[in-house]
Amino acid sequence: MGFYTRHATLRVFVRGCNAALYRKYRPSSRFSSSLASAPVAGETASGNSDKTSSAFDTITSGLYDVVVVGGGISGLTLAVSLKSSQYTSHLKIALVEGMPLASVKSWSPDPDIYSNRVSSITPASQQYLSQIGVWDHVHTERVQAYDDMRVWDGVSGARIHFDAFHLGTDDGTIAYMTENLNLQHALLSRLDNLSSGPPVTILDSTKVAEITNGHEFDEVDLSSWPTLKLSTGDTLTARLLIGADGVNSPVRAFANIQSRGWDYNQHGLVASLEMEWDDRQRIAWQRFLPTGPIALLPMPDGKASLVWSTTPKYAAHLKSLSAGAFCTLVNAAFRLGMVDLDYLISRVDEEEIKEDFEWRDARLPAEAEGQQFPVRVVEVQEGSRASFPLRMRHCDNYVAPRIALVGDAAHTTHPLAGQGLNLGQGDVSSLVRVLERAVQNGSDIGDEVVLQAYWAERYPVNHVMLGVVDKLQKLYCTDFPPIVGLRTVGLEIVESLDWVKKIIMRQAAGSSVL
Amino acid sequence: MRPRVPTNVSPCVRLLKRNYTYNTPIPNYPGHVPTNIFQKLFLAAGSGIYSFFDPTRGDLIATLGEATALPFLMERLRDSMLADPTGRRILRERPRITSSSLHIDQLLEYPENTIGRTYAEWLKREGVSPDTRAPVRYIDDEECAYVMQRYRECHDFYHAITGLPIIIEGEIALKMFEFANTVIPMTGIGAVLAPLRLKPKQRERLRTIYFPWAIKNGASAKPLINVYWEEILDRDVQSLREELGIEKPPDLRGLRKKRISRL
Repeated sequence: MGFYTRHATLRVFVRGCNAALYRKYRPSSRFSSSLASAPVAGETASGNSDKTSSAFDTITSGLYDVVVVGGGISGLTLAVSLKSSQYTSHLKIALVEGMPLASVKSWSPDPDIYSNRVSSITPASQQYLSQIGVWDHVHTERVQAYDDMRVWDGVSGARIHFDAFHLGTDDGTIAYMTENLNLQHALLSRLDNLSSGPPVTILDSTKVAEITNGHEFDEVDLSSWPTLKLSTGDTLTARLLIGADGVNSPVRAFANIQSRGWDYNQHGLVASLEMEWDDRQRIAWQRFLPTGPIALLPMPDGKASLVWSTTPKYAAHLKSLSAGAFCTLVNAAFRLGMVDLDYLISRVDEEEIKEDFEWRDARLPAEAEGQQFPVRVVEVQEGSRASFPLRMRHCDNYVAPRIALVGDAAHTTHPLAGQGLNLGQGDVSSLVRVLERAVQNGSDIGDEVVLQAYWAERYPVNHVMLGVVDKLQKLYCTDFPPIVGLRTVGLEIVESLDWVKKIIMRQAAGSSVL
Repeated sequence: MRPRVPTNVSPCVRLLKRNYTYNTPIPNYPGHVPTNIFQKLFLAAGSGIYSFFDPTRGDLIATLGEATALPFLMERLRDSMLADPTGRRILRERPRITSSSLHIDQLLEYPENTIGRTYAEWLKREGVSPDTRAPVRYIDDEECAYVMQRYRECHDFYHAITGLPIIIEGEIALKMFEFANTVIPMTGIGAVLAPLRLKPKQRERLRTIYFPWAIKNGASAKPLINVYWEEILDRDVQSLREELGIEKPPDLRGLRKKRISRL
């Protein structure tokens, strides 16, 4: 079913066209083909000046229903999701990505090497990915589900423990740890695999040089349509432009949407680690240190992924250390007291750090290993240490006329709750629902009124999650004794109330926020 | 393993032969006497009252120190050691000051004004030996117990570095200094309660001269617990004082002599 057979849609699309043009367009029954085939438009313009005609030619050849800027997980999920929906699969979609995607597409993973960019996928996100057929393409042998979560306060030692019981689902999975690359690869494979409608045009290694509004031609008024000038020289004009282009979103800048928030003055240090032995426990560990939380997330085969939020100074120091010293400090950060950790971080000599750590570690009860803190980290994968600044950002609005923002472009959060990717998936699923409805109603998918339903649905959900994460971060980034006392009492109360833990787990699993 | 009571005897015999130590907690370190909060309060009250009337009972003052050592204050002191490279080394090597670890006779031959010489002279004049220091028994954490032991054994070095004599006034002034520096409760209790036994003139001297000096210097000086005394025995007292940020207090014996001569 094409757009052009639908009168209402046509009116919106060809705003400013005369009746003759309308008649000329009509025979090209499918919307997508009419957008793709410039000759139809060129023919209509033959009576006008040459200049306008050639400009219109180039415009129509780059005319798309949806242009997604950003080939990250949110952007790709959106493309796949639109393509796999029976209502939106006919849309003509382009995806622009600055980095080359060929290597992602032909990704052949080495079982011993894991990428340092990993995400925690909640059961809700996982369900959505299976629903749109992506999960079948994921290398599941490289995905690690965990069903136990142990979180504790580094200053007071107060602990909270979540397990499958609190989630109340059948398989009890709290979340799945996946490499971002694995997901991206699966999404691209799924895109190839989708046959309904025109294929998605993927323009990788292509940067967006400029975004402007389109021109008003005699035939058609595109002045409200965002037009992208690409680094390759091509021009794309979009009925709906999706900004899935990350924190410093150019699309958001073009739409003039204010993004509010603050920097945490912390860097997230990530690394791929090898544990001393595979304890097969499937536990996610997180300890709140006054400099920021440190989390160790299980990966398959006794591997693990580290996210250590710490001061920029410490992050730089930890990256510069030798592998042995770094592993020792990771172990120290999960086991030793704050004074010991501060002291060890101030040292540089590997032998000294190791000896000192062994001395302090020997004082801990042997049975605590694997119960109160993870088994030892013995190796860090070479070149896997990287860090990035952490911040909180939330846009005032996710939509503007013919523009919608999803994922990190709309909101950025601290990684302590592992929610970043999942909020983006929630956005995508909501936006696609809204677009499906618009197509069914015959509305213009770029209409701000249509898009506002998406914003109205997602903003409060994201805002609550961002707010909670932000407050947790602030609450735990201090060692001021009265605050430590209060948060310890609070945590112990929560720990003793299973029904509260059940609520928290359900929210975190993404089953029903609000 | 503790021996179990045999089960093949009558209940009455079993009750009589019952091993009552079976219910006592296991010590955390050799010499540890596990105590509960009431036992600690009882120890603190008993040793406090007795030592108030007989300040020469060093063993009771030591017991008072252990019974009143609140864990979080001892942990704070231990953390200040852990944060300092030398303090950390002390905790790791656990040096003990005894007459066999320090050769007092050799120390007496050190040059004048060295720490070793000053310390040895204190010991000789007061007729005490490092071995007279009682071992720690009532502090539950093994590492904090060592911290208390270390404080106790280093106490005489504090006399040496401040120049305060081992007469009661000097002890009280030093206790206040130690309280400001280490926050061990016993030192504060001693500094506040012990002057009640003094003459008004002595109290005034403490209040106007020695307490202000003790509080100012104790609080601003580097933690004395982190000094590895055994390694700096040949250092000049004055240079160490400067390094730690301690001013020498007015000469107590001199002040007393002056007052006596005026009478």
